[in-house]
Amino acid sequence: MSKVKSHKVIGFRSTRLAIIFFLFILLLSMQFGPYNQFQLANISTLLIAVLSITLLTGASGQISLGQGAIMAVGGYSAALLVTRLEISMWLAFVLAIFISALFGLFLGLAAARLSGPYLAGTTLVMALAIPSIAIRFDSFFSGDIGFSVDYGYPPDWLTNLLGEISIEEWSLYVALPFAALSLFAVLNLSNTRSGRTWRAVRDNEVAASLAGINIARTKVIVFVCSSALAGLAGAIYGFRGLVAPSVYPTDLSLLLLTAAVIGGLRSIGGAIFGTFVIVFLPDVIEKITKFLELPETISIYLPALMIGLLLLITVILNPRGSAGALEHIRHRHKH
Amino acid sequence: MNLRKPLILTVVASALVGSLVMNSFSATAASVPGVSSTEIVLGMQLPQTGPASPGYNKIDDAARAYFDYVNSKGGVNGRSIKLVVKDDEYKAGRTITTARELINNDKIFAFFGSVGTQTHLSVVKDINRRGIPDLFVNSGYSGFYTDPKKYPNTFGGLGTYTVEAKILGKYLKEKYPDKKIGILWQSDDFGRNALAGLTASGLKFEARKTSASFVAGTQGSIGLGTQIGQMKANGVEIVIIAAVSSATAVAYATAAALAYKPTKWAVISVGADSTTFQTILGARGTAPATSAALLAGTISASHAPAAGDADDEYIKAFKKINDDFNKATGSGKVWDNNVFQGMNLAYLATAALLGAGKDLTRAKLVSYLKNNGSKLSSAAFSPLGYSNTTHEAFTGFWLGEYDASLVLKPIGGTRVVYTTDSANGPVTVSNYKRPAIAADALPRVG
Repeated sequence: MSKVKSHKVIGFRSTRLAIIFFLFILLLSMQFGPYNQFQLANISTLLIAVLSITLLTGASGQISLGQGAIMAVGGYSAALLVTRLEISMWLAFVLAIFISALFGLFLGLAAARLSGPYLAGTTLVMALAIPSIAIRFDSFFSGDIGFSVDYGYPPDWLTNLLGEISIEEWSLYVALPFAALSLFAVLNLSNTRSGRTWRAVRDNEVAASLAGINIARTKVIVFVCSSALAGLAGAIYGFRGLVAPSVYPTDLSLLLLTAAVIGGLRSIGGAIFGTFVIVFLPDVIEKITKFLELPETISIYLPALMIGLLLLITVILNPRGSAGALEHIRHRHKH
Repeated sequence: MNLRKPLILTVVASALVGSLVMNSFSATAASVPGVSSTEIVLGMQLPQTGPASPGYNKIDDAARAYFDYVNSKGGVNGRSIKLVVKDDEYKAGRTITTARELINNDKIFAFFGSVGTQTHLSVVKDINRRGIPDLFVNSGYSGFYTDPKKYPNTFGGLGTYTVEAKILGKYLKEKYPDKKIGILWQSDDFGRNALAGLTASGLKFEARKTSASFVAGTQGSIGLGTQIGQMKANGVEIVIIAAVSSATAVAYATAAALAYKPTKWAVISVGADSTTFQTILGARGTAPATSAALLAGTISASHAPAAGDADDEYIKAFKKINDDFNKATGSGKVWDNNVFQGMNLAYLATAALLGAGKDLTRAKLVSYLKNNGSKLSSAAFSPLGYSNTTHEAFTGFWLGEYDASLVLKPIGGTRVVYTTDSANGPVTVSNYKRPAIAADALPRVG
């Protein structure tokens, strides 16, 4: 009975937090101009991908440098379904989740045998190799040209309800519900028995094994869940305009990992913060460099440099990221 | 994560305050975006940083230098031209964001001279959907221009790869009928377009014998040894390269290492920039004299005078403007093909803005280019193809050979410009005569 109640409490809390996130972003967007609305859509999309890392690395301790490649799997799946089979974008997004999850299953089967740097190396190779497959089999995947896809136009009922909807607002309305649902799913997963099992594997595989947890199966399940999220993010990301190898470069994987590390790999709140940083920091730096009238030779390198520095500072001063730092401050105040 | 009520309220309140502050900075919308009584704002996206940036990152400074010159002479119909540039790092995902920034924050009137095929593909549909003029894209990909119904506002800034390849292919087929001709191409839109053009001219290639390809961007890591080795093993006498300049440099260096000396190299112009060629080989330890000797004798094509043609009147005028107005530092200001291209497109954009008239709107500019664009002139020896049925830019090329000082000189001493289309039209000699440049180096429209 207490178990049922506990699940209900967790479910209620996850729902509440997901709704708060949804309303928070929506509220912001209503006050923002079109460009920042588009950036909020980017945050919603990339948050799903960062959450996939939080789940994989933060919750189960498996390192992936190839989430961008799994995003490509999701993007290509959705684009092929829409352009070749002419199914609706929404259905294509849902199917992309399943296709990516299936891909994650195969990847997980191999990953279950690997750990640490070997797993990181394997996933990095995947990040490099998967976009090249699209070029090798160009008649099917359309090579470098890729697939020109977008979110289309908002449905009439929504326009009738809200009035004229800009392209940027529509981007947000497509991405945000998926982000809120992903947040709900990850919050739920993290706080249920599955999440505790994953953390047990992360913290001590031998102890977890002695407690009766099937380590290999657990790792595969995490990979499947993480890939499903990354695939969904990839599909929404690609439909901003193009699904092509150049949309999912290797450094996209590294940027996502950076967001997760800056925020705190084990924290969902940290994932949100980290995603805000990678999306908005370049804009803030641009405003500062314009204000200071810095020469172009300096200003164009500053965003990448600052994000890199922030990553280094996080790893050196507080490896648990901003969420860890916040917890530390809270702990000090209590005592 | 434990969010308590006060924290939630704080976050929501911060959001409201933050958004109100942001709103106070938002500009009021003009009747025509990017056009005021004193200014016209154009936007450009190109790689200013990253591996794809060398060479291309000079185009924006050169264009801005020409616009600054125009502004110093009173601007276009009393309006100065402002060029806003965004670095997309040659990553399509980033291009989508920078395009939105240019449209929504910088409120540009039109896109101008954006660099790259893949990057531009990610935004071209959106730009056209919004009705924004997309002027003079620095890409030879014919897919942008040959179907104006698909992209009604997009106009080319380079001759298409197909047109150039058709002209080059016809020449090689007629000049070297008994030689074995092969091709090294990068497996992307550029390589495929060039291959299609060469095939349309009647040349035939056999996979794994006279045709070798590689994944674009991998030339540095794979070294092209397999591809060049294949050419040598199959006795290819004329090697055509349809790849970027860095790949051309690697191919030449690899051939030298394998002691492979084809009778002739022929390189599609995008991959034949001598400055980039020498820079890349220089970084690998090859002395300038040695790299110059490697490239000398290579056949290539151009729609305009060679950047090194010091006697050309357009080159003289543009070089002077570059010296006086280009604010780039170091090598960014050094005169080469990229600087020339940036300046020539800025000249063309100035002409188009002049032609569209004082009551400037986006629709008027696009309409002017469709109906009168082919009458505009620039430094090119080739006519412009802009019309209601195609938005291709330069429809002609002349063929030349690099001399010992790496200046492209017309084959046979006389420059003959050939013209064709990106479809199955024949290659013919162009009778276009380039108008002289005005004394003040400003364009004139009829």
